[in-house]
Amino acid sequence: MPVADAASEKLKLLLAPVRKRLKLSGYLTTVASLLWIGQAALVAMLVASLLQPELHDLSVWAAALGFLALGACRIALDTSAGRISFNAADDVISKVRAEVAQKEALRSPQCAGNENSAALASLLAEKLDSLRVYITRYQPAQVRVGIVPLVILGFALWHSWVVALILFIAGPLIPVFMILVGMAARSASEKQMQEIGSLNALLMEHLSAAVDIRALGAVERSEDAFKGAADTLRQQTMKVLGIAFLSSTVLELFAALGVAMVAVFVGFTLLGEITFGSYATQLTVYEGVFLLLLAPDYFQPLRDLAAAWHDKASAVAVAGELAEREKQELKPIVGRGGAVEMPRAPAAVAWSGLHFSYGSEEPMRYQEAKVPAGTSLAIVGASGSGKSTLLALIAGLIPPSGGTLRIGELEMTAETADQLRSNMDWVAQTPHFLAETVRRNLSLARGHIPADEIDEALQSAQANGVVERLPDGLFTRLGETGAGVSGGEARRLLLARAMLSDAGIILADEPTADLDGDTARQITESLLALKDKGATLIVATHDKALADKMDQQLVLEAQNA
Amino acid sequence: MRDILTIFGLIVRQEKRPFLTGLLLSYLVLIAGLALLGISGWFITATGAAGLVGIGIQFDVFRPSAAIRFLALGRAAARYGERMLTHDATLKSLTILRLQLLKAINRFSYSKIIGFRGGELLNRVTADVDALDGISLRLIIPILAGGLTYLTAFAALYLFVAPIVAWVTIGLFFLGTGLTLSIAMKLAKAPSNRIERAHQSLRLRLIDLFRSKTDLIVTGNLQAQLAKVGGADQRLRANQRHVDTIELVVGVALSSTSLIAAVMALALGADLAQAGSISAAQAALGFFAILALNETMGPLRRGVTEYGRMQAAASRVNRLLEQGPEQREQRPCASASAVGANASPALRFQDVHYTTESSAREILSGISFDLEQGQRLALTGPSGGGKSTVLHLAARLLQPTSGSITLFGAPLASLDEAELRARQAFLPQRSMLMHGTIMDCLRLANPAISEAEAWELLKVVALERTIKERGGLSCALGESGLGLSGGQKRRLSLARVLARHPRLVLLDEPTEGLDQETANEVLAGISDYLPNSAILIASHRDAELNWAHSELRIRKNIFCN
Repeated sequence: MPVADAASEKLKLLLAPVRKRLKLSGYLTTVASLLWIGQAALVAMLVASLLQPELHDLSVWAAALGFLALGACRIALDTSAGRISFNAADDVISKVRAEVAQKEALRSPQCAGNENSAALASLLAEKLDSLRVYITRYQPAQVRVGIVPLVILGFALWHSWVVALILFIAGPLIPVFMILVGMAARSASEKQMQEIGSLNALLMEHLSAAVDIRALGAVERSEDAFKGAADTLRQQTMKVLGIAFLSSTVLELFAALGVAMVAVFVGFTLLGEITFGSYATQLTVYEGVFLLLLAPDYFQPLRDLAAAWHDKASAVAVAGELAEREKQELKPIVGRGGAVEMPRAPAAVAWSGLHFSYGSEEPMRYQEAKVPAGTSLAIVGASGSGKSTLLALIAGLIPPSGGTLRIGELEMTAETADQLRSNMDWVAQTPHFLAETVRRNLSLARGHIPADEIDEALQSAQANGVVERLPDGLFTRLGETGAGVSGGEARRLLLARAMLSDAGIILADEPTADLDGDTARQITESLLALKDKGATLIVATHDKALADKMDQQLVLEAQNA
Repeated sequence: MRDILTIFGLIVRQEKRPFLTGLLLSYLVLIAGLALLGISGWFITATGAAGLVGIGIQFDVFRPSAAIRFLALGRAAARYGERMLTHDATLKSLTILRLQLLKAINRFSYSKIIGFRGGELLNRVTADVDALDGISLRLIIPILAGGLTYLTAFAALYLFVAPIVAWVTIGLFFLGTGLTLSIAMKLAKAPSNRIERAHQSLRLRLIDLFRSKTDLIVTGNLQAQLAKVGGADQRLRANQRHVDTIELVVGVALSSTSLIAAVMALALGADLAQAGSISAAQAALGFFAILALNETMGPLRRGVTEYGRMQAAASRVNRLLEQGPEQREQRPCASASAVGANASPALRFQDVHYTTESSAREILSGISFDLEQGQRLALTGPSGGGKSTVLHLAARLLQPTSGSITLFGAPLASLDEAELRARQAFLPQRSMLMHGTIMDCLRLANPAISEAEAWELLKVVALERTIKERGGLSCALGESGLGLSGGQKRRLSLARVLARHPRLVLLDEPTEGLDQETANEVLAGISDYLPNSAILIASHRDAELNWAHSELRIRKNIFCN
């Protein structure tokens, strides 16, 4: 599967900067696991000394203290390994988060990839965290699995080839099952994520349609429908989970049988009923207890890795999403969108030879034009003729493929863009407000603005009614968590913001689209009021009434390549 | 903890059997592990002792070795059963919780439901329910199973090893895990909450960054917003580090508990064996059994780390579930069944006032009108003027502050919900569809609808051809009606309302998003389909106005008929 490969590749790439620390952490946990061999030897010797005091001279206290000291070392090693891998995970996650946020922020709002802000936000804010468990649990387990079973197998072989054989047969069978488990668990977890996801989607849908459902008198019916759909989802999920559990049960079974067979073999050998399996001398009590204590730890790393498989699956899924995003071509904005303190004054806008193309297709060419300071221009033309793109080029929201654009005395370049934009404001067709108060949203371009000035701007944008209707007036939170405003109301608020910004150039994208006649007229009046204050006004519009009120009209021809 | 127990109670009450069986199996898994290691240790030491003194022939090897093999197999089987049962029960409980939540929210007042439509709140509720799936699986069941296992281990050690070993080791386990858990839960609560808040603000800031990108760029705030994202990330990481430290300390405390218990079992057992009060095999049994108890620690460690999040989610979900319907309980009075006296107008508003609850702003001050059966009345006026409010009052989604509303002569408030919805249907301005087939969609409104009726309805709303092209009534829509255009969705919502054959139809801008021709076709369809119904329509376009028999203009508290 090329998609999965791309995801695994991406995951490797993400971990590359912390690879050394992850190895170190893995080795520390490996050493901790291996210390158990020493602890097992002490215990075995103590037990043997109880039966054969003449052979083993070990005091209870020496054994207990030795066991305790080694155990304390293990805890210390495991803890420091945990801290190291936590730090590594923290670095990786925070780095990816900052890089992707920066890159996506500079992605031009005009090109593809901006559609699902909520999904991207939840990828960066929450899903990235699933890398943490992968890094802290799966990675060290992977290092351990390559070393600990081999070392234990060596010890077993030293004392008894039968025990080694039992472990050797049960052990390699486990990786076979691990692959099965891995495949089943991966598809199960993916599937389950989808199912749980759609259970959430189902609930969301029912909650969003709550008003309709009530108005249709269908409350009970919809609750029954929800329950039915949710039960079906659950049954499907359980079917898939069943496969995964079955395979991991096989794994546990092998581990348990391995231990049981070692125990039974050792017991029978000690009784003298089995005489093969060890070497020249017969297996001693010490060796028997020692081997029994080692057997479970032979399987433990394999079980740890299997238990962390789910973590790997979700990390791969996240890496896959990141890789998918990277594949989209990215056109950055001109400049960085930073704040530059600049005097704001009406300025002329002029362009020549300006053309733009999203990719390899025939570029959109714009005829040369000049909008003198303080005058207005309507960009008109059929849908797809490039009206909005021209407006975006003027604001530096997208880089031109060629040609020059001058605003006042300066040419728009990466260096001047932020400065030039500080003299502009933009009235969007579908405005999105920040999840902040109306007041903060209105003063976005300028910082603190006195209350009477805000009132005045709201008046002239005919938006005072809009604010009055909001539950907390100017202090109402807008956006995702706050109150909503209709399309017309939102544009009036943006006009008020434009008035407050003192911007010398106002760009408006379809400001009267989808509005009823009265509202469209009000918006037009407000735009003209902005021009009367001295601003250069450029609108992209379908609305003939609005276009006719502008000083110039630029008609774009549809250019179908 | 109280909130968590409340939610647990809610879940368990409906799924008693699977939870009890799941708990029993989890316990059996632990006990089998305990017995497997304990008996193996005892078996090897005992056979060693027997072999040494040459009585190997008399030693009963059959029962212990059979027990060991049985335990190995039984343990795997119990593990499988436990996983299946508890996962199934958990998925069921998630469904139950979601259904409860849906029921609670469905009974909220209209204004509250509207508050819930904001994506963020919904996200939060669904994420909260997700966080709760671990309550049974990773918190309560492991604690109970662990506790039971300790008690059983105590009995076994008391009987088969020595009372002193039982008291000391199991006492240590109870003390160590109990103290660690209770302290860690307290310590982790505040930072876990802060992690969640940081996640939330990180996500909101990212959504703002991506969604309001154009505005942020043009106003020079893009870099500032990126810095805010960075700030939330810092806060998140600092608290995650805090919680990780707590987790590490918990890990050290739990590992030390089992280490010290193992050392005590070893030293006490060996000491007693040397003194001759127990056999070496009994001492080994005690030590190996204590080693097996390690297995109870893993799940506890994970549960503790999730506790903070569960706790916060549980208290929020509880608060939602506890909120009863705050709509006034509408008791139908005896006279209500007298509805439908043919002489009464379909809808009568008499001096109706409406003031919003939140801002105490008067939207309607004294509106009166009669809508006769078979008549169509259009409400007109600027957006935000109160047209929708009139419709919501008529649909009893809002309650008037004063004045009276009667439906076919009966006071609106006296009707019970079923009776009310049987007589009228309401198309909200932002009507929502759900996924499912076209037939599912119409059945939500009218469960008894036949296919022929469904086609007739689709014809009325000019969707017949579209749906035929898509494979007829079984054509499935995606989430929220995905697959249909805005205008098509609007018409399907309208068909859903008409499917109820209401005698009073309340329509909020039914033809929004439709072109002139389709709008006229749909309007004509409605009046042909329901010639005798009264229709109240909030409208801003001429097509709807011309279709109505009369007009009521609502503008800022002034009504002109």
